[in-house]
Amino acid sequence: MKVEQSEYLRGIKPVLVNLRDRLLEEFPYASLLAQDSMAKNYSVSKTSTGIQMNGMLSGRGFVAKVYDGTSYAEYSFNELSEEKIDEIVTEIRTKLIPMSAHLPEGVKKSAYAMLADDPLVFSDSTEYEIDPKEYGDEKIIAQLTKFSEAGRAYSDKVLDCNAFASYQKCSKLFLSKNRDMEQNILWMCGGVVVMATRGEEVKESYKGFSVLGGAEILEKIGKKVEEIAQTALDLLESEPIVPGEYECICEPGVTGMIAHEAFGHGVEMDMFVKDRALAKQYVGRQVASELVNMHDGAAAAKEVASYFFDDEGMLARDTLVIDHGILKAGISDAQSAMHLGTVPTGNGRRENYERKAYTRMTNTYFEAGSNTVEEMIASIPYGFLLQNASSGMEDPKNWGIQCMVDVAREIKDGKLTGKIYSPIVLTGYVPDLLKSISMLSDTVELGGSGFCGKGYKEWVKVSDGGPYIKAKIRLG
Amino acid sequence: MTEQILSALKKCGIEDYQITITKVESAELFFIKKELDMQRSKNVRKADVSIFRVFEEGENRFRGVASVKVQENQTQQELEKCFSDAFYAASFVKNKYYDLYAGKKWGMTEVESLLSDKTLSEIAGGFAQALFAEDVNEEVFLNSAEVFAYRYTTHILSSQGVDVEYRKTYVKGEFVVQCIDGQDVETYQDFMYNDWNVDALREKVRSTMELTKARAKAKTAPTAGEYRLILSGGYVDELFSYYVSRASSSTIYPKYSSFSVGCDVQGEEVLKDRVNLTLTTTVPFSNEGIPMKELEMVKNGKLQVIHGGNRFAQYLGIEPTGFFDGCRVGAGEVSLAEMKSQPYLEVVNFSDFQMDSFTGHFGGEIRLAFLYDGEKVVPVTGGSVNGNIFEAQKNFVFSKELQVEKNFEGPKAVAMDKVSVAGI
Repeated sequence: MKVEQSEYLRGIKPVLVNLRDRLLEEFPYASLLAQDSMAKNYSVSKTSTGIQMNGMLSGRGFVAKVYDGTSYAEYSFNELSEEKIDEIVTEIRTKLIPMSAHLPEGVKKSAYAMLADDPLVFSDSTEYEIDPKEYGDEKIIAQLTKFSEAGRAYSDKVLDCNAFASYQKCSKLFLSKNRDMEQNILWMCGGVVVMATRGEEVKESYKGFSVLGGAEILEKIGKKVEEIAQTALDLLESEPIVPGEYECICEPGVTGMIAHEAFGHGVEMDMFVKDRALAKQYVGRQVASELVNMHDGAAAAKEVASYFFDDEGMLARDTLVIDHGILKAGISDAQSAMHLGTVPTGNGRRENYERKAYTRMTNTYFEAGSNTVEEMIASIPYGFLLQNASSGMEDPKNWGIQCMVDVAREIKDGKLTGKIYSPIVLTGYVPDLLKSISMLSDTVELGGSGFCGKGYKEWVKVSDGGPYIKAKIRLG
Repeated sequence: MTEQILSALKKCGIEDYQITITKVESAELFFIKKELDMQRSKNVRKADVSIFRVFEEGENRFRGVASVKVQENQTQQELEKCFSDAFYAASFVKNKYYDLYAGKKWGMTEVESLLSDKTLSEIAGGFAQALFAEDVNEEVFLNSAEVFAYRYTTHILSSQGVDVEYRKTYVKGEFVVQCIDGQDVETYQDFMYNDWNVDALREKVRSTMELTKARAKAKTAPTAGEYRLILSGGYVDELFSYYVSRASSSTIYPKYSSFSVGCDVQGEEVLKDRVNLTLTTTVPFSNEGIPMKELEMVKNGKLQVIHGGNRFAQYLGIEPTGFFDGCRVGAGEVSLAEMKSQPYLEVVNFSDFQMDSFTGHFGGEIRLAFLYDGEKVVPVTGGSVNGNIFEAQKNFVFSKELQVEKNFEGPKAVAMDKVSVAGI
């Protein structure tokens, strides 16, 4: 089934067209992005059940982008009618544009060319199997309650089991002088967190699930509850690892975290503009093993970060970032591409209509290899299988790795010993890790249950993943 | 908007509700090097409506809730559909019964500061001036910066008589300092001020430039092992978030935390400094309309009070306090100079410091630290701290000197023994 168009956007479009035309009377370039989004969060734990609309992702609103002949300015608003048009244009002319009149000494406005605005009319929607809205709050809560109860019943050491799900149905309309684009996207994700306790210490095991689609994801979550609970119990017996460099197998979630956090942020080309990314100096050079091919793009996979056009009206692409170990290209928003003289890759994304667009990743992953997971484990005399990626932080400037995983399963003489170490911090130099990749499994898995920030804000939905990889990694 | 919402609630027969209407205005400046790359402003109004429903199953009584985000431009018909759907959804939310917080009408409260009477453009411009005032060197300079001036007007009203309104103006942002003297390195900093603290921002830029210059000289990671660790700056605030989280009614009621009033929050074996912590707030009312006032949470290491919102407070049979957005921690008796008279590893910049209040684990990758081996101080970079507060809190030493960082006031530094560091 295709996601339906927004009736609200269809109804307000004539007003948006009039507003665009009024802005074009005053500015050589003007565009409008309109958003009508509804997102809901559900959760069930021992003591709480929740059904909330998600404030960050829900909303009807607009952002007007104008070019004054030198640079760009934006105005975000959510009250719109024919009667309001004059007020909005006046606000932009009399308050927004003059904001740059009193800059600090020695600071000037950036000078940009006018954005290209090739004619394009476009409309499309993603597909789903089960519409979560039609499926209904009652059934979603009933499913999550079942998962939560199953997790809590697994062992008397389980303190709680939080089962959760969320979805967003988002329609967007982009209008400029020559562009009239519309898209309708639905994604759903969910997961389970099991908390187990021993004295003061509480250990958590988490697994997330996601789909570019709807409530069909719930069935997948239910099948994994006991496995997640067992991992939480295993973690109670875990020990701190002896710091050092080890041969490691990373499961697809950990591979994805490395692709996204350790490398992906470094090829966001707004960082090239600021001279904040080491990758800028490495385009065309080897940064990874010849076995490694890496992609990013809203059109590179069907996952939660898929869309047809970005928040600046640029069509989605599939960017081959690393080709057989060689850094080929970065990803960019429109303004950064203009600054660098490159082609925008459809990666200009906003948290929502209230925020600025930045270069952001979408679906980021390594391509599959040709090994089986069993072969990979068997090849390790002493090392670890890394699982349950928990957090990561980018360091585009220095390519330093900071990623955390909750589970390191010991491998000895090519076999898992059953011993677990936790928590684990991955550190080191990104190209060293990527160049050490010596085996990749034959299947790619992507997941997108979380959000990605730019620094510590600007949250957008992303997915990442890849195959199992074998690499040398410094663990602590 | 308020009348439209109230009318729709009445039409749907909904008796228990809370409405929060927020108007947000902003002025935003985005700089790259010494150029203004983008200017933005925002003017939006939104409402969050919580719809409650009381129901029974057998002998159990529940209060369900579902929330709706109301948008401008929603028709009356759309609102009524949203509210009736939410009222229905609330009947599946089987939360143990509790009474809603009952409040009263207060007049409009302005959170007073020197920002209140200025336009948002003036505020953004003034703080931009402060940011660039120290940007006068060629080797160490502002790489990029973002300044956001916000004015929030919040109106909370409920079916139980809460009717409070306040306006708050503040400024926040971030900047990156780059140093190309030696190695090419950078330091990220964020900031937030509730008053015209332009001098504080200028000082923050200056000290970040000093720190970044030091990082440019750091070449190696510390060797792996256990260190007497010193945390300073914003990481001290993050460390104490463990106690705030563990003393919350929402973690105590489900038994995620074993804290109880009178307990020793640092455990029974405390060899050095004990925690003194007062919760603070920058808003006059909580998100439920509870009038907010400072709260002494920990005194000499003993928990004085459990804090939190209405629901879990009722479950625990205590007074609701609302949610706090800051804290003040008591200083120690040791000066920074004394603290640093023995060997230490002082981490002044992590790529991302994490304090997990459930597992007690804290740590992160070291961007810059100073290692003192008893003879000389060497800047180091790389490796990671991997500590656990259950052990570390037994021997905390707090500095005598204080810092004010965003909504935190407390010791400039905290020292702790035998913390594991993964290095070379």
